[in-house]
Amino acid sequence: MKHILQVLRFEYIGCVKTKSFIISTAIFMVLIVLMAFLPGLLFSTQSGNGDVHFTDKEKPVIAVCNKAHDSHEMLTAELTMAYAGYDIRMTDENLSELTAKVGTGEYRFALLLKEPLSCTYITKNNEVFSGATVQLKEILTKLYQTTQLQKAGLSLDASLEVVNAEVKLDTVTSGTDQAQNYWSTYILMMLLYIAIVMYGQMVSQSVVAEKNTRAMEMLITCAKPSHLMFGKVIGSGLAGLTQMVLIVSTALVSVNAVSKDSLPPEIMGLLNFSVDMVLYALLFFVLGYFIYSFLLGALASMASRSEDLNTLISPVMILVVAAFMVVVFSITSGDVNSTLMVVCSYIPFTAPLAIFARIAMSDVAVWEILLSVGVQLVSVYLFGKLAAAIYRIGVLMYGNPPKPTEIIKMLQEQHKANKLTKQSSRS
Amino acid sequence: MELQIRDIEKHFGEKEVLKQVSLTAASGAALGLLGRNGAGKTTTIRIVMGVFFPDKGEVLWNGKPLDRKHIRIGYMPEERGLYPKKRISDQLIYLAMLRGMNHAEAAKACDRWLERMNMSEYKLKKLETLSKGNQQKIQLAATLMCDPQIVILDEPFSGLDPVNAMLLKDVIKEMIAGGAVVLFSSHQMNYIEEFCDSIAILNGGKIILDGRITDIKHSYPRNKIAVTSSQVEQIAPFVIQHMGEEIVSVEPDTTADHTLMIRLKSADSKQKLLQGLSDKGFDVDMFRVCEPSMNDIFVEYTEASV
Repeated sequence: MKHILQVLRFEYIGCVKTKSFIISTAIFMVLIVLMAFLPGLLFSTQSGNGDVHFTDKEKPVIAVCNKAHDSHEMLTAELTMAYAGYDIRMTDENLSELTAKVGTGEYRFALLLKEPLSCTYITKNNEVFSGATVQLKEILTKLYQTTQLQKAGLSLDASLEVVNAEVKLDTVTSGTDQAQNYWSTYILMMLLYIAIVMYGQMVSQSVVAEKNTRAMEMLITCAKPSHLMFGKVIGSGLAGLTQMVLIVSTALVSVNAVSKDSLPPEIMGLLNFSVDMVLYALLFFVLGYFIYSFLLGALASMASRSEDLNTLISPVMILVVAAFMVVVFSITSGDVNSTLMVVCSYIPFTAPLAIFARIAMSDVAVWEILLSVGVQLVSVYLFGKLAAAIYRIGVLMYGNPPKPTEIIKMLQEQHKANKLTKQSSRS
Repeated sequence: MELQIRDIEKHFGEKEVLKQVSLTAASGAALGLLGRNGAGKTTTIRIVMGVFFPDKGEVLWNGKPLDRKHIRIGYMPEERGLYPKKRISDQLIYLAMLRGMNHAEAAKACDRWLERMNMSEYKLKKLETLSKGNQQKIQLAATLMCDPQIVILDEPFSGLDPVNAMLLKDVIKEMIAGGAVVLFSSHQMNYIEEFCDSIAILNGGKIILDGRITDIKHSYPRNKIAVTSSQVEQIAPFVIQHMGEEIVSVEPDTTADHTLMIRLKSADSKQKLLQGLSDKGFDVDMFRVCEPSMNDIFVEYTEASV
């Protein structure tokens, strides 16, 4: 136990003190602060003084050739409202003239309204996300509907009221609000996955480095291999946890620091983590991390050089990516309680991600959570034991990594040898 | 105090690596563990260190099973191993703590040993910034920091310049004088002869020769005589005539000037030869029985088999 703590301390300090750890943590924290504050800054400048710089002469021009409606009045009014800061100019120019002037930049864009329901939109560059076409369609449709209603005998006000009417929809959810949790779950899932993969790989690299530099030759004579491994895995895990806690608390603090109104609701939704979700994420990070890093550490102990490492750990890496994919597809499809997901909640490799997504996006019975956590705890214990046995063989083996069958054979032999020594020490 | 390895057997898979290996190393003297590559030296050492369990046999300390929790063992592996990217003081303290020191003791021992190795200025440097010889010294400090009762050194001299080799020799002699049991493995026979009172030669997993070096050397026939003199040209014909039938060969020594190598049929006629040279009044600088060197003995015992 003393050895585990000593190794743990050394690994933790060694890990936290590395430049890459400090830099990556700092980058994450800065990014999160930016994500929280930047939209607020951007939006406030835009709405506050966006159009002040234009004098009348410089105002960009929107040319409209109206051949569909008798009066220009309503069309001009609607367009002026939608395009504040633009000069709405009525003309009689035809398509080619308008196109030419849009081309030279004299007009920002032009509309050629031939019939109430048919309009040509002339623009220099059709931007993908400008939203201009949608907005114009809305304006023109509204105009048509109003005029038609007026023709049918309604007053202008009455017809406008009909056109502008909108149903107010209140949603009441009896269970978990999937829509509201979707993005925050997605983000926590990503963090969970990245953290498990990143720190698991960190463990495997550190194991290979110790073998490669032959530091293991010294260590193995000072402490039991299992103590070395547990110390290393727990130490690196704590380093990872430190990083996660720093990042998540930065996120919580900065979201609370910005005034809620300065953020558009979409972004507020992204950052809408509830405390118990964060706690669940931490729990499943710890479990998932141990499940994977024990395996990765054990496999890494078989490699003598870092070049061998990738080949050795790729099966486990594929497993973790597959687990991630299954869960992401399930939450994207909205059906987080499908049979597949339920099964995945009890398979050690997929359980941390699957059960987390299900808890976050639906109502899961307490016994299901407990069972999944139980399965994971048992797997941590078993994988820990298996990893310790493999590690013991692996760390002093150099040369080509052995085949799986050879590993099993050696494990059996070691088991037999251990039994023998126990017997002989008893007798 | 005495470290005893008794009847150890070990196999890896089908391969038998050690067969009935027994050794005894006493404190205040060094035991040279010799053998060709793959003879089983490292496996033997690892069994002593408790890294491997033997299939049979035991490791004893003063007659009782070696308790590695209480007996401190310092081991310097042939494949040097420390963390290249970590500060020297950090890793020395870490290793000493794993061996049972508390932090304060470890820090003190770290300073003391760096001082002893003339390496104090490098305390806060990363290991990889040091030259190979200096890294070697750090490795030795790491081995000896816990003040071990058993010291196992595997090729400690490789890569050291003569000055550092002197320093290392002094340190090892101190350890021996201080009562540590020293196991010394090397292929550099001159060091073995310098430090070790006894040797054990492993070959193919078996001990094929062990004992005190002087005894081993004395067990060889003492019939080879080297005579150094300025008058070797006159001595050679005299010896042939004087010794007659009792002589095997007389040849000039290829490795030294003015020296004759005289091989006698029996070591008993050595006295007659000396008497003859003396009576004749030759100016003899040196008259010496040629013992086989450690190198000769090693090659003789290990050449034949793998």
